[in-house]
Amino acid sequence: MLNRLTSRGARRRLLMVVAAAAVLIIFAYGWSVTDINLNRPQEPLRQQNVGNALRELLSPNIFQQDYTIINATTPILMDCPADGSAPAPAEPTGGDEPHIVVIPACAHSGEIVTVQGYNFYPDSLARINWIATDGERRIRQVVGTSNDNFVTNTDGTFTVEIEVPRIRGTSGQTHTVEAQGRFPAGLPRFSDTTGLVLEKMIETIFLALIATSLSILPSAILSFFAAHNLMRPVRMSLGSLLVGFALLPVGWLLGTEVLGRIGTLAVNLGKGAGFNLGAVGALSSLFLFAAVTSSRAQASNISLNSDHLREIASKLLLAVVVVATIGLLGGLGILFGGLFTEGLLRYLSNFIGSLGQLVELAILPIAGITGAFAVSSAGMSLALNGLKKLHGAPAHLLGGVLGAICGAILMGMVASIGMQAAWLGLLPPVAAASLASGILPALYRRFVPQPARPTAAGRSIQTALSWVGIIAALVGTAAVLNVDRAVIAGTLPSTRSSVSLPGLTLYPYITQAMLIGAVLGGLSAALAGTKATFPLGEILYNTTRTILNALRSIEPLIMGLVFVIWVGIGPFAGVLALTLHSIASLGKLYSEQIENIDSGPIEALQSTGANRLQTIMYAVVPQIIPPYIAFTMYRWDINVRMSTIIGFVGGGGVGFLLQQQINLLRYRDAGVAVLAIAIVVSVLDYASASIRERVM
Amino acid sequence: MLIIENLTKIYENGFKALSNINLEIPEGQFVAIIGLSGSGKSTLLRCINRLIDPTEGRIIWRGLDITSATDDELRQIRRRIGMIFQQFNLVKRSSVITNVMSGRLGYINPLFSLVNYVPRVEHERALAALERVGIAEKAYQRASSLSGGQQQRVGIARALMQNPELMLADEPVASLDPATSHSVMKYLELLNKEDGITILCSLHFLSLARAYADRVIALKDGRLEFDGPPEQIDNERFRQIYGEDAVEVEIH
Ligand SMILES: Nc1ncnc2c1ncn2[C@@H]1O[C@H](COP(=O)(O)OP(=O)(O)OP(=O)(O)O)[C@@H](O)[C@H]1O
Ligand SMILES: [Mg+2]
Repeated sequence: MLNRLTSRGARRRLLMVVAAAAVLIIFAYGWSVTDINLNRPQEPLRQQNVGNALRELLSPNIFQQDYTIINATTPILMDCPADGSAPAPAEPTGGDEPHIVVIPACAHSGEIVTVQGYNFYPDSLARINWIATDGERRIRQVVGTSNDNFVTNTDGTFTVEIEVPRIRGTSGQTHTVEAQGRFPAGLPRFSDTTGLVLEKMIETIFLALIATSLSILPSAILSFFAAHNLMRPVRMSLGSLLVGFALLPVGWLLGTEVLGRIGTLAVNLGKGAGFNLGAVGALSSLFLFAAVTSSRAQASNISLNSDHLREIASKLLLAVVVVATIGLLGGLGILFGGLFTEGLLRYLSNFIGSLGQLVELAILPIAGITGAFAVSSAGMSLALNGLKKLHGAPAHLLGGVLGAICGAILMGMVASIGMQAAWLGLLPPVAAASLASGILPALYRRFVPQPARPTAAGRSIQTALSWVGIIAALVGTAAVLNVDRAVIAGTLPSTRSSVSLPGLTLYPYITQAMLIGAVLGGLSAALAGTKATFPLGEILYNTTRTILNALRSIEPLIMGLVFVIWVGIGPFAGVLALTLHSIASLGKLYSEQIENIDSGPIEALQSTGANRLQTIMYAVVPQIIPPYIAFTMYRWDINVRMSTIIGFVGGGGVGFLLQQQINLLRYRDAGVAVLAIAIVVSVLDYASASIRERVM
Repeated sequence: MLIIENLTKIYENGFKALSNINLEIPEGQFVAIIGLSGSGKSTLLRCINRLIDPTEGRIIWRGLDITSATDDELRQIRRRIGMIFQQFNLVKRSSVITNVMSGRLGYINPLFSLVNYVPRVEHERALAALERVGIAEKAYQRASSLSGGQQQRVGIARALMQNPELMLADEPVASLDPATSHSVMKYLELLNKEDGITILCSLHFLSLARAYADRVIALKDGRLEFDGPPEQIDNERFRQIYGEDAVEVEIH
């Protein structure tokens, strides 16, 4: 017993030693990979360079002042007379005027003389000139330095030594020694660099502010889909889901054709001022009508065979109202955008005008999406009763048909993304694999007699079968779609020999993918039947999480590079990059806050008959507002930090300026930018921390 | 009439929390559900408004099959069934009146809820409900600032907003002291007597069941152990339900 214990102890000790050695080797490898070299920092030239750069960085060029130069002169006799009748050195005259004294009062070439100055400006620059009889100024550097200028003492005096120049044929003449001193004129003011940095700093802060505020709404919406506690209970009957999904493209077509026309009309109505009142009136009465019809449907007593037709009509009506309202608002925005060209209102006018333009550009997609959702939801409620009555074989048959349609649509959509770039080509096989994952386990359950209670063995067989299906679909689809060519050689699928349908073009690549989707989707849904429940929430949750995580792993600087290509150098590119990154990061942070809330109120509201939207508005939203504010502040703080450097890739803000200054070796100017960044970042850090503390 | 037929619930981990429950509850009864912790009381109550989906069996209320209702139908059924909870389940940061009004959401157009608009009548209805449970003066305070008993009365007011015909109460007084327990139970009794609301209430203390219920249902390990008037529970029955070593404690 004891033996075994000691041997175990010994083994553990041995293991520890081995592990320590391994860690040491890894660390040593890292040391050489990162090129750590202790000699380089000690080279004198490098030390001098870094010293200079640091000195300039730490002497930021914040202020600037004008100077006048005041000269003081004194005579000096070249070559002292041989008879020793040297002139007596001049005495300081006293008084307030700057003046100098040279000792001795006579000297020969190459001799060192001392120049004393009085009443110069303290701690200011000065220089000594030698003026011979020809009147030419010769700068005399102070002995032992290589600078033209020197700095006066704190009391305004100086004592420096200079060497008497060798000037031929001037012996016996009286030369002049001149001291030029710099005297400040007027008050100091901020330098031009400071002005520029301030301007760019304001741009930086607003860049961060706009990016943060643009990201709030999208990330708040996404956060609900990325919250597991909200999404897990979202389940749907497979039949309803398939009906809804199959109707999406139909709704999109109808939406872009019909609703799109209404939307464009509304935009134009909004733009032309004359029609406005009438159009607003018509639309608001439409809106009221829609609201009233749907509320009446709500307020009636329990009637399980509720009036589907009215419900469907109100859904379609609502879609019309939504698109028309958005279009009208957009048009009015454009109208307002042209109203003011001067004054403060010009900014507002410009802003609202751009929003209007955005709506005008996006009205067709908006109409398409609204139409898709309206038609699919109307279709689902229409199909509800029929699906409820369907049992047995017909349910599986219908499932197969709908599944084939939906699988084809899904794979068609994925494939049209997949043909855009080589690595995106990996998406269709993945989608096919997820469609296929349930087929073999379902076949097993159907054709092998199942025990009353699921056994562990049965479960592992099904998992294994599921993996077989996944891998088969992955490999098969990849082979059919020639994914290997795309990944290895980077060639994209051919876009020749296409079939054109209204609204879409089908390339062979896409039709093949759709065929695979139809087979796999049809099989899966036929086996499951329309009665099966589909974990829609779980799927949405996983998809949202995956996208958010992928986006978050791309640094904003890299996103900035791409956006600079798209929209050009400037703060706009920075705004886009930071917005995208903030959406991903806030979406994750927000969703974690939702996952932390008290689930009691959600349950309570569900039990009162509130629908999902109402439950979220009344049970979830009040609980998440404080953490949302806190995390938004935190994100703004981060965005300010990032926007100071996003300029390095051309994203605007103070970073762009800083990079230029560094490239031009103007470290004193760079110092101003660095100082400004430090101040703004620390102030915001403090502000966001204190606000966060207050709301939490 | 609430009819429960062959109700069985097996949780996802395979645990059988209810097995083959059959019950018939006429309108206007005050029914207490008792049983040891883990006997399935909460599971039974939650199956009735389908906060939990039953595994097998049917629940039929006034001729409507709750177990096979679609989402829309279920919401319409749920808004006639009030529920109150041991932990009150109020939104603590919201005001009392907002909490009460949220009981009415099933009747309000969801589009209104999106912009947090509540019709004026509903506001008045909420004040009246608070009046009824005696805490109208607290209407504009935060729910978290109320005592436990007051919070449970807010919970009752919220359920009242639904105009319920059936009230499910899952250990409504388990986290309250005895005196407060009685005052909360009195409000439930009032709803039962005055409004004729059927009440299904799970309780920890048999004495409370004796004081308020017309009928007691006892669960043991997910099975129906007893169903009858409270007077019929003698010492022997009591030990059957709660185990050999149990002693009845009174709550006054
Ligand atoms: N989500 C769940 N998954 C698995 N088992 C569960 C789940 N919820 C409850 N159970 C189990 O089901 C049994 C019955 O639970 P239930 O909550 O209905 O009991 P209860 O009678 O209400 O108990 P208590 O008096 O403690 O509230 C318990 O053993 C419990 O552990
Ligand atoms: Mg319980």
